Amino acid sequence: MTEADFDVEYVERDDRSARVLIRGLTPAFANGIRRAMIADVPTFSIDTVRFVENSSVMFDEMIGLRLGLVPLTTPLDEFEIGDTVTLALDVEGPATAYSGDIESAEAMVEPADENVPIVELKEGQRLEFEADAVLEAGKEHAKHQGGVSVGYRHLQRVSVEGDRGEFDDEEPRILRGVIETPEGEVVATDEFGNDLSERYPGKEVRVEDVPGAFVFHIETDGSFTVEELLLRAIDSIEERADELRTKVAV
Amino acid sequence: MMIPVRCFTCGNVVGEHWEEFKERAREGEEDPGEVLDDLGVNRHCCRRMLVSHRDLVDVVSPYQ
Repeated sequence: MTEADFDVEYVERDDRSARVLIRGLTPAFANGIRRAMIADVPTFSIDTVRFVENSSVMFDEMIGLRLGLVPLTTPLDEFEIGDTVTLALDVEGPATAYSGDIESAEAMVEPADENVPIVELKEGQRLEFEADAVLEAGKEHAKHQGGVSVGYRHLQRVSVEGDRGEFDDEEPRILRGVIETPEGEVVATDEFGNDLSERYPGKEVRVEDVPGAFVFHIETDGSFTVEELLLRAIDSIEERADELRTKVAV
Repeated sequence: MMIPVRCFTCGNVVGEHWEEFKERAREGEEDPGEVLDDLGVNRHCCRRMLVSHRDLVDVVSPYQ
């Protein structure tokens, strides 16, 4: 590969969502990273449930489906694809069984959100089961996707062309994403209501894509942090490239 | 029957916000849109999950 000069900048950063500006990417590589984040980074998800008692209003299968969708924290350093962790729940009505009531055999793998209702139990109803969570990649089943609504846009450069014509109407200029101002600042458009006429009133502005600069919007379901997701996606691309190299070299 | 765990469209976890949403916007007087903003449910695909949901456990339970 030619000498790539990547430049990474976090525009917004939280535990579960972030916007990251990466310069020096080709569109193909940016899409590769996006797809790796969605399909190739594995997370734990409940896959098999053994019901001991279910006298709730929902069928076993309905509860099984709901359990699969509960995000579980996934320390990827400790586990490999295919590893399982046993979880259990025992709740007697009248009460609501929450994801936080699920007990895990492994302290590192537990529900990422505690307040997800599984099923509401009435007087005399009971839910007890044992379940196996499996570490798998998003391409096997969507419940294993760690990234939620992962996408990217071009960074857009805004330049001021001059003053607006004296008798021209002030029209809104709606723009979404992240812009680079003439001063070289990187600003998210929601800071000025997604309207360039708010930020540059009375000016004639031009907007163009910055080549090779992509702003990723990344959210995770709580299995791991955004940074972890991005790093693991890049690792998975690297792993596949390495494998290809060894196969070609032989 | 119960609030779906995740948004059908984007896969964001919405189930955890249901009880607070119900308490504040359905049983309380607050504006549903403002409650959703407050809960951090921003996309309209996720918002419709909560806005259009109806609990049916109480309706179904007598027929067990």
